[in-house]
Amino acid sequence: MTTSEVSVDELSLEVKGTTAQKTVVALLLLIPIVVFALTPLYNQAGPRLFGLTFFYWFEVLWLFVTAAFYTCAAFMLNKMEAGKK
Amino acid sequence: MNNIEVVLVFVSLFVLFVALGFWSSRFRKGDLSDLGEWALAGRRLGSYLAWFLIGADLYTAYTFIAIPESVFLKGAVFYYAVPYVGMTFGVAMVTMPRLWKMAKTNNYVTAVDMVRDKFNSRTLALIIALTGIVAELPYIALQIYGMQAVLTVMIGQLVTSNAATLTEISLIIAFIILAAFTFTSGLRGAVVTAVMKDVIIFTTVIVVIVLVPIYIGGFGHAISSLPKLPTGGATLAPLYLNGFVSLSIMSALALYLYPHAINGVLSTSSTKKLRMSTALLPIYGVGLALLALFGLLVYGSSKALALVHMYGVVTAVPSLIYAYFPPWFVGFAFLGIFIGGLVPASIMAISQANLLTRNVIKPYYSKMTAKTEARMSKYFSVMFKFIALAFIFLIQATYSLQLQLVGGIIVLQTLPAIFLALYTKKLEKWSVGVGWAAGMITGLTMLLYANFVQFKFTSLATTFFKFNTPLGFLYVGLIALVVNLLVTVVGSAVVGVARPQKVTAPGAGGKK
Repeated sequence: MTTSEVSVDELSLEVKGTTAQKTVVALLLLIPIVVFALTPLYNQAGPRLFGLTFFYWFEVLWLFVTAAFYTCAAFMLNKMEAGKK
Repeated sequence: MNNIEVVLVFVSLFVLFVALGFWSSRFRKGDLSDLGEWALAGRRLGSYLAWFLIGADLYTAYTFIAIPESVFLKGAVFYYAVPYVGMTFGVAMVTMPRLWKMAKTNNYVTAVDMVRDKFNSRTLALIIALTGIVAELPYIALQIYGMQAVLTVMIGQLVTSNAATLTEISLIIAFIILAAFTFTSGLRGAVVTAVMKDVIIFTTVIVVIVLVPIYIGGFGHAISSLPKLPTGGATLAPLYLNGFVSLSIMSALALYLYPHAINGVLSTSSTKKLRMSTALLPIYGVGLALLALFGLLVYGSSKALALVHMYGVVTAVPSLIYAYFPPWFVGFAFLGIFIGGLVPASIMAISQANLLTRNVIKPYYSKMTAKTEARMSKYFSVMFKFIALAFIFLIQATYSLQLQLVGGIIVLQTLPAIFLALYTKKLEKWSVGVGWAAGMITGLTMLLYANFVQFKFTSLATTFFKFNTPLGFLYVGLIALVVNLLVTVVGSAVVGVARPQKVTAPGAGGKK
């Protein structure tokens, strides 16, 4: 087997889409992660919710946002995958 | 409280759980003497069932017992589990559909099947398989700790003497039953019982999070009653910022390297369904976050605190539930937490057994038939459950979360061979192997050094390494992974320049 040989399986792994589509998907997946990683951003006492400090409730709220972002990304990826056939 | 009622409800629901476990062998009937059928439920799970199953990998004793215990004991840094859950499914959205497609095309049952083909190396595959098997052990042990915590409170309140012995006997009985239905039903047993477990757990979490703050005068009261916690109470202590971030990112990378998580992924019926269920999994994290907050709520309640002091910090969540709810609800909730340990333990043992049969033994006995392979896996799944149980009886851990975090350090060392190999053919097998070794040695040495030299603990009590620089605390898994990646990438680049024709591994070389 030579260096340049790429099996058919490898090629079909790529999800096809325009650059714009791919950028949007990348952002939908990255924004939730980056916000979670920027801990000082939400490591605050206030404002409080139900008596909870911001640090605790913001992360719960952000999980819902994350699920929404990921779901949009999943819809787009699934469409892109279906489109190539 | 009428403790007989607690036990009655608990036992009746457990009987139902066992019945479901055995019945599930008929669920979407398949030939259970085939490994793909037994271990992957025939690769036919849709979005909902996959959601429950992969959710069951996440919603374990780690969530019900270990995280709340750690938040209770050490404070805010262990709320890292919330960002972890949010991030890990992003990682999965990118990597897992790709692995799924490769697996489907080449009939892979484990990620190590892919490693073997990609690197065309039986030895590297063997190393990665053994790493996965070893990393699962402390994770299963953690499940058993969780189950033990529930039994300790329940049995402790029921009898005045011999509570510890009774707890051990009950655990062993539960494991024999679990082993029996995993043997018969395989992953189907885990899928069907995962639905029951989650219904009970979700109900419990919602009821507790609404009612307990009302009983104890709100979260505000709990927060203002907090003692000075080492890593911060109301907010995270700045010294632990890097610890928090490194724990969450590394855990996010680690989850989908665990054989049991990949096993769940490969059991889904299509990449579309896999993506949808993965995208919705952060919702599970909400339950995890609320349970972590139970660790703080305990401080608002003198009744719960008294129970925790009596039975140990590991019982933070069971104690809180016991202190405030009627017997039937306590029985219901305890059963939820109990099977919340059992179901993941079953999935983990199945994935270990697959690796052992397919990637450790089979390569050296090429004549093994599909039937033998499946039968062997079934027996090994029983064996691994009892190894984990023995582990618990022999080793007294100081606190349960550390078990999972040690597993994390180990499993992270398979990242180059599994995640990176999904995307590039430029990795060279020797460099990956040496990188793995460098990562393992670094991780385990630092772990021992931190515990016994830096902090002078008498047992394994931390996975942080303390730097006397502004870095502060860092999760050992991060440092070990960086070392591993450096060796792997630099090594592959050097070998690539030296002998370019050898670098490429055949795409699907070992395919049958």
